[in-house]
Amino acid sequence: MNKLFPLTVMIMATSAWATGQDDLPHADLPQADPALNVNARYLIDRVVLKRDVWSSRSVSTPLRQEIDQVVGQNLDQSMLESLATRLQKELHVPKVSVHVAKGHAPDRVTVTFEAGEKEQGFDLDIDRFLYHSKQGWTGEGGASVKFHGNKLTFGMVSDADRLMERYAGIQAGFERKNVGTERVGLRFRFNNYHEQWNRTTLETALPGELYRTRQHFIPEVTIRLAEPLELSAGVDFARYQTFLPNPVALGPGARTESSNAAVSTLRYRQRWDSGSDYKQELAASYGVRSGTGFLESDAIFTRQYTDAQYKMEHGHQTVKVSYLSGRITGTAPMFERLVLGNSETLRGWNKFDVNPMGATRVVHGSIDYSYHAFMMFYDTGSSWNVSEDPEQKQSLGVGLQAGGFQVAVGFPIKTGRANPVVYVGMNF
Amino acid sequence: MNRRQSIRFWWIAAAFLGGVATAMFAEELILRAQGNRLDFSTPRLHIISGRPLARLRNAEPVAFDFQATVASTNRTNVIKRNTARFVISYDLWEERFAVTKTTPARKTASHLTAMEAEVWCVQEMSMDLNGVAANQPLFASMDIRAVEESETRLFGRGNITDAGISLTSLLERFSRPSKSTQPHWNLEVGPITLEQLRRGG
Repeated sequence: MNKLFPLTVMIMATSAWATGQDDLPHADLPQADPALNVNARYLIDRVVLKRDVWSSRSVSTPLRQEIDQVVGQNLDQSMLESLATRLQKELHVPKVSVHVAKGHAPDRVTVTFEAGEKEQGFDLDIDRFLYHSKQGWTGEGGASVKFHGNKLTFGMVSDADRLMERYAGIQAGFERKNVGTERVGLRFRFNNYHEQWNRTTLETALPGELYRTRQHFIPEVTIRLAEPLELSAGVDFARYQTFLPNPVALGPGARTESSNAAVSTLRYRQRWDSGSDYKQELAASYGVRSGTGFLESDAIFTRQYTDAQYKMEHGHQTVKVSYLSGRITGTAPMFERLVLGNSETLRGWNKFDVNPMGATRVVHGSIDYSYHAFMMFYDTGSSWNVSEDPEQKQSLGVGLQAGGFQVAVGFPIKTGRANPVVYVGMNF
Repeated sequence: MNRRQSIRFWWIAAAFLGGVATAMFAEELILRAQGNRLDFSTPRLHIISGRPLARLRNAEPVAFDFQATVASTNRTNVIKRNTARFVISYDLWEERFAVTKTTPARKTASHLTAMEAEVWCVQEMSMDLNGVAANQPLFASMDIRAVEESETRLFGRGNITDAGISLTSLLERFSRPSKSTQPHWNLEVGPITLEQLRRGG
């Protein structure tokens, strides 16, 4: 009676997976009531997940395994609805609908979970909004248009937090997630910024180190190696116009330089288990950026960067442990240099006190704990240059958070007077 | 002035024709008395349509709550009431419907067309009119509501469609007005006497 169903992986118009089973078991399965649903006597021969190609979230391995295990079982709508609800939570989508259709053989049905976000349409997003009592305001937002698997984005940014400079300008991009295959995506980005520098940095910088404007053109290919593992590779063509930061200093005046770097990042993201009381998530990445003469770059350098974050939620409690490290060899432009003492690292420290020109070496770790809206954190790390000795710095902080909004105060742990830093904002 | 009169005439004509059309195609409740038994039929009512039909074709069972009432003297003085829940499912492979009456007593019919399934449900609503005088003016009504997906999810599909739903909770559901988004039907007839029905039958 049993037919053979080859394991099939369906490549849908959207990112999808499908599972089938060779030999469908008949015994020892929970039976839905066939009197209430005549289809309960049919066996599921395949499960397909269709989801929005733009969704960056993936399904956790345990949930995926549970969905796969549905194959071979009798159709049970309540079980499918329960899985759909969990998918909705994991993928952070407004709705996951369940579609059941005739299967590939008599008395078999195929189940499709469709995680719905609009494939086409217009979106406005505020990506980041932050007030930092030492750095001022940071904001980033934009609009995107999706059409036929393509996405056009246009946004504006004024960021005083991530780098040693405040950069403000426009960011535009084109992205296609599937280029022939769902495993390969393509992205082009163009950024045009104007810079503002802190006085400490201006006073410390050498001639030619700082710039007034910079433009980037970044073509990039993303290869999804396996579900949790993704590799992106491309080139960052950057052009910046230097200026003489200190009128007294001697050196070249304004000129245009380039920093053309081969960029490559390997990302890993995994989650365990939406079905249990403990939800865990691990995200890690390793990236290399290498400015090389082969690309006719004026700046010759190699920048390596690793970060990892583990998060565990249990009830109203969340624990987050983060790590990052970075290393630069050669002469990298200022926007490549490593920074500690912002809204994500050494919270409570002022980055201009830590290292006003950024650093070429960095190691940092932090632990965040939150219960309901209350949060507290501990950061420790060090950033230094080749000729310097690393000095470990620490900070502590408390705050409140709700729905992406956060207000926190961080205290640097040091001898002498310690000025706390206040952070208010969302998505930082 | 003449133009205004002309517009009014067309409005009246349109309203009249609309009324006639509505009367011709309205869902109607037909009563039939056999002894003390009152049977219902609703030849123009099609509950297996629209959103419920789309859900059925997606292999979901859809529950319908039925309430038949007979009132005497006026429509609010209810003397007999019959409530029942029917769970309809659509066989994806046989392309036929199956119906299970879950409340008050479980009863099933299968391999039905959509119309046969609807007729079966309505027939199950028949009621005993013992003690009702033959010349007593009666008003009958049939209220049908599809149980929405959201209600199904809220309580868990296993609960909403199973035999565990009580008559009390069914009555309680009918005591509330139906939601505007909820597919629902209400058919009424009367006044009519048992004597008239017996003569007509």
